[in-house]
Amino acid sequence: MLTFALDTSTQSPSLAITRNDRVVGELWLGPDPDAGRRVLEAGHHLLCATGIGLSQLERIVVGVGPGGFTGLRIGLATAHALGQALACPVVGAISLEALALGIAETVDPGVIVLPAHDARRAELFAAAYRVGPDGGLEQIIGPVAIPAALLAGKLAGQLRDGVRVVSAGTGAIVGRDALEAVGIEIAPDGSGAHRLRAAALVERVAAGAGCDPSPRYARLPDAKVNLLRATRGGT
Amino acid sequence: MIDGPFLAIETSCDETAAAVIEKRVVRSSIVASQADLHTPYGGVVPEIAARHHLGTVNLVVAQALAQAGFELSDMRAIAVTQRPGLIGALLVGVSTAKALAYAVGCPLVCVDHLLGHICASWLEPIALDPPFVSLIASGGHTRLDLVRDLAHPETLGQTIDDAAGEALDKGARLLGLGYPGGPALERLSRGGDPTAHAFPVALGGRRTRDFSFAGVKTSLLYVVRREGDLSDGRRADLASSYQEAIVAPLAARLLDAAREHRVPAIALGGGVAANGRLRELVSEGAAQAGLRVAMPEIALCTDNAAMIGAAAQFTEPVAWPDFLAMDAMPTAPPGGIAA
Ligand SMILES: [Zn+2]
Repeated sequence: MLTFALDTSTQSPSLAITRNDRVVGELWLGPDPDAGRRVLEAGHHLLCATGIGLSQLERIVVGVGPGGFTGLRIGLATAHALGQALACPVVGAISLEALALGIAETVDPGVIVLPAHDARRAELFAAAYRVGPDGGLEQIIGPVAIPAALLAGKLAGQLRDGVRVVSAGTGAIVGRDALEAVGIEIAPDGSGAHRLRAAALVERVAAGAGCDPSPRYARLPDAKVNLLRATRGGT
Repeated sequence: MIDGPFLAIETSCDETAAAVIEKRVVRSSIVASQADLHTPYGGVVPEIAARHHLGTVNLVVAQALAQAGFELSDMRAIAVTQRPGLIGALLVGVSTAKALAYAVGCPLVCVDHLLGHICASWLEPIALDPPFVSLIASGGHTRLDLVRDLAHPETLGQTIDDAAGEALDKGARLLGLGYPGGPALERLSRGGDPTAHAFPVALGGRRTRDFSFAGVKTSLLYVVRREGDLSDGRRADLASSYQEAIVAPLAARLLDAAREHRVPAIALGGGVAANGRLRELVSEGAAQAGLRVAMPEIALCTDNAAMIGAAAQFTEPVAWPDFLAMDAMPTAPPGGIAA
């Protein structure tokens, strides 16, 4: 099956074309806050470079986040419109799981991987998974928007029991101090583990972890939060 | 002009809309309004609008195609609102339109939302051709344009502060009416006396054709504060006088401009064009002056995609795949309209 995969949940959007779950071509944009806006243009270059016609595509796989709201929407709108025009299915995959797969490749089974994007406002979009013997992911936390120290605290018990926890992604870098304080390891700078690969979304779908292709924002709109606070009489 | 049927998409604010247009004929026009979602907030919340567009736009496109009896592959172009508007909302429409046009293999037409409002009267059955003077008044915009060429409207005036619809909504709120308050204010004003209270004139200076509504709004705020509990009759009088202070200058400037530029017709657009009192004043004045009045049905005055299709006929299409570099823009260009 020929699949076009894209993820715009981070400032380094990723695209991939896979055939029967093998990568035919892939590329990244950015890092740049507006890189998501060029995702379709990049997709065109990828199709040209791989010699694959748009009409040959049989499936669109899209990262559903969590991540930057605007980027996420651009990727999802693009995926849905391609699916609508090409009359092919659109399948979602959790973006943080794709990032987790990249970290999992660098560690042994039993280790906990902690993919994290910088969510700003002193929070991370993060999740935690235990790597299975077959390289599968068992979800332990998330995906959530959470302060790094709070996330670190949730894993303190595992760390005390001697379990290795390895984090990567822009969130691991901005949350480094809080994460390292409890013994969480951060993937080395420049390691490929920090990079979300759209091809990994396809691997998640192949592993049966595909999901509804709608955005996982992990946060309510600010206006809604304020309204809820006001109606509850809190501050 | 685009040869054959094409799809138009609008997502600049809180309506998700799609239409199929062929020449000047509206084959279908679907509008999914989010107004109710924003009511609890007293105004449009950009993040909520953008979220809702994403869940809706493909359905609205599918409905517009089905109602018109076409397949996506029949479309000779995809038109989309590129600017101005809420950036997160615009990006959903622009990303969708780009991907549709890319997959269909047709050109993309990046349309200015305000040109859309101006071009709404060009569509059948009104089929108004230039020259005419256009008044666009909505919650986001208030502008007067001389239209000798639909591709290049000439700005005569615009609001220097609040938009007319925004001023009506704010007035409604001061009088204890809900959001969106314009229609409620109009209902309340029907039982009132438009001359009961003298509000300042909503003009942005004698020499220009600009508008200013901030003073009118502030004046109402002071009255409401000073008088405290208002009787129903007093509220109706204030509503009526306030509405008059906003819509009468709109009508007067539109009619004056038509006279000055010796055009045979005037056109109304934007959500405030649904206001009955504005329609009445414009109709009366136009009848006296012997002007043709183009007042599209309400669904074509408020935000919709058919008008974006109309404006697309006067906007240069961008060829496949050059449009992949096109992007949404939140602001209007200098001069107010991109065409
Ligand atoms: Zn509008």
